[in-house]
Amino acid sequence: MIEIEKMGKPAVPIVSGRFELDAIASARAFAMPDLQFVLVPRIYRNLAIDECISQTEAAIDDLIGILTSEIDEAREAPQITTTERFEGDDRYDAVQRMNDDFILRDWGDAMPLYPPTQEAVDALIEGTNLPADHLVCDMPPGFGLATVEKIAINSAMAGAKPEQMPVIIAGVKALSEIGDQGGKSLLMSTSPHAPMLVVNGPIAKEIGINPKSALGPGRDNQVNITIGRAFSLCLRNIGYWYPGHMDMDTIGTTRKFVHCVAENEEMSPWEPFHVNQGFKAEESAISVFITDGELDVQDQGNVTAEGLLKTIAYGSTFGTRSLGERHTSERLIFMPPDVARPVGAQGFTKRGAREFLHHNANHSLGKMIQFMPLEGEARVAANWKWLESHTEQERLNMTVPLLESADRFYVLVIGADRAKTLVMPSGPSPATVGIDQYIG
Amino acid sequence: MHLLEVLNPVATQRGVLTAMTTTPRPASLDNKTVGLLWSGTHGGDVALKRAGEMIQERFQNVSVNFYTGGNYPAPPPIVKQAGEECDVVIGATAD
Repeated sequence: MIEIEKMGKPAVPIVSGRFELDAIASARAFAMPDLQFVLVPRIYRNLAIDECISQTEAAIDDLIGILTSEIDEAREAPQITTTERFEGDDRYDAVQRMNDDFILRDWGDAMPLYPPTQEAVDALIEGTNLPADHLVCDMPPGFGLATVEKIAINSAMAGAKPEQMPVIIAGVKALSEIGDQGGKSLLMSTSPHAPMLVVNGPIAKEIGINPKSALGPGRDNQVNITIGRAFSLCLRNIGYWYPGHMDMDTIGTTRKFVHCVAENEEMSPWEPFHVNQGFKAEESAISVFITDGELDVQDQGNVTAEGLLKTIAYGSTFGTRSLGERHTSERLIFMPPDVARPVGAQGFTKRGAREFLHHNANHSLGKMIQFMPLEGEARVAANWKWLESHTEQERLNMTVPLLESADRFYVLVIGADRAKTLVMPSGPSPATVGIDQYIG
Repeated sequence: MHLLEVLNPVATQRGVLTAMTTTPRPASLDNKTVGLLWSGTHGGDVALKRAGEMIQERFQNVSVNFYTGGNYPAPPPIVKQAGEECDVVIGATAD
């Protein structure tokens, strides 16, 4: 709608009630803060036809009014202060008051925040070679200006250390380089899409990012959690990824407490992931994936490469697919050393393992499209229209490749001992950014 | 008493710095071409078509064009076509 307004033509979207704040936030983010919209009570997608019609008829006066009347009152952008002050009986009390206020404004993740004092922020900026006012990128989905200072403020709130700053900065930059505008649409989706950060290269060991049992809470993952939390707070306060505004998730996911892990390069039979992405092994880099779920794929009996990979291939078949012209879904596979090493030892290169996974990951088309009615659905691309002539049972009986190609399987070696692989639906393709360029 | 001063973590948005105003509105939809831009999701097409019908009932000589790009957000070529061919455009994401 904004693009049409920019062409000089009045435009108005019809928006359901839950998306009112999203519409306002999006209008501001996409540079037309006064764009007007018509509100209807319920989301059309799950309404019967007569309900679609009746709630549209009830909104027609508003719709015509917006198309034929000038705006009465412009929406003002909130003023952003430079500093905030809190008085308390002592420092502890003042920090508590800061936390109460920040959480009320939704600037935090609901867990205690470290106070981002000037001293704390200056110390973090010392961890990079960039000046405070350096613009790293416009951070999606709300496209806030991700300066080094703003990244440092949010990192300070997470309790980050100066040596972690180059990783956090590179992570923020990498998100902005994913797919279409940093995966903006996926971040704003009603499905639980969330970033996943993976660090490769010497810096992982130097600063203590755990490559083994890397996703849980506790001492061993303190650095993983801190970097992920810093990134999460940047995404919130720089990227405007606020729930109900630009994060429209239906239920949500704990993966939105963004995780950061390192690849277990020492226990991998293959080249590190960042080498596949064009970096040298001795360089450090961070990759950002967008994940959409996770499944533990257990295989405690197989010892052959083929058996282990077939189990993962089958385990990868959960999830859904669209009937768009291209099938862009991917799978991010965290393969533990107890799976990767026998597969590698039995002659599989990483590329070979990905090809084998692709050839063995097939599934019922009818199940993957979730029994969706095809007739009249514009999201069925022309190259899939032929499906309309088949019965539901025929669609269920059709077996198709899970993904478009082997390129869409990403295999990273992560984890402790045990043959338990973590498979995550993911996409669009990850972005990888070098870390060394930001080290002070 | 302790005074704690902290820095604000919220960034300025690019869209705020480059904000544009909306287009001037016509006084009436008489003799206008109304674009209906559908994102492809169930129900949105029904809503748009009913809105188009009601506008035709209330105004004189209104043409209605229906567009679908089959996805959200609508593909840029479809958006451009709707903007070029119509005087006003109504959209529905079905959300």
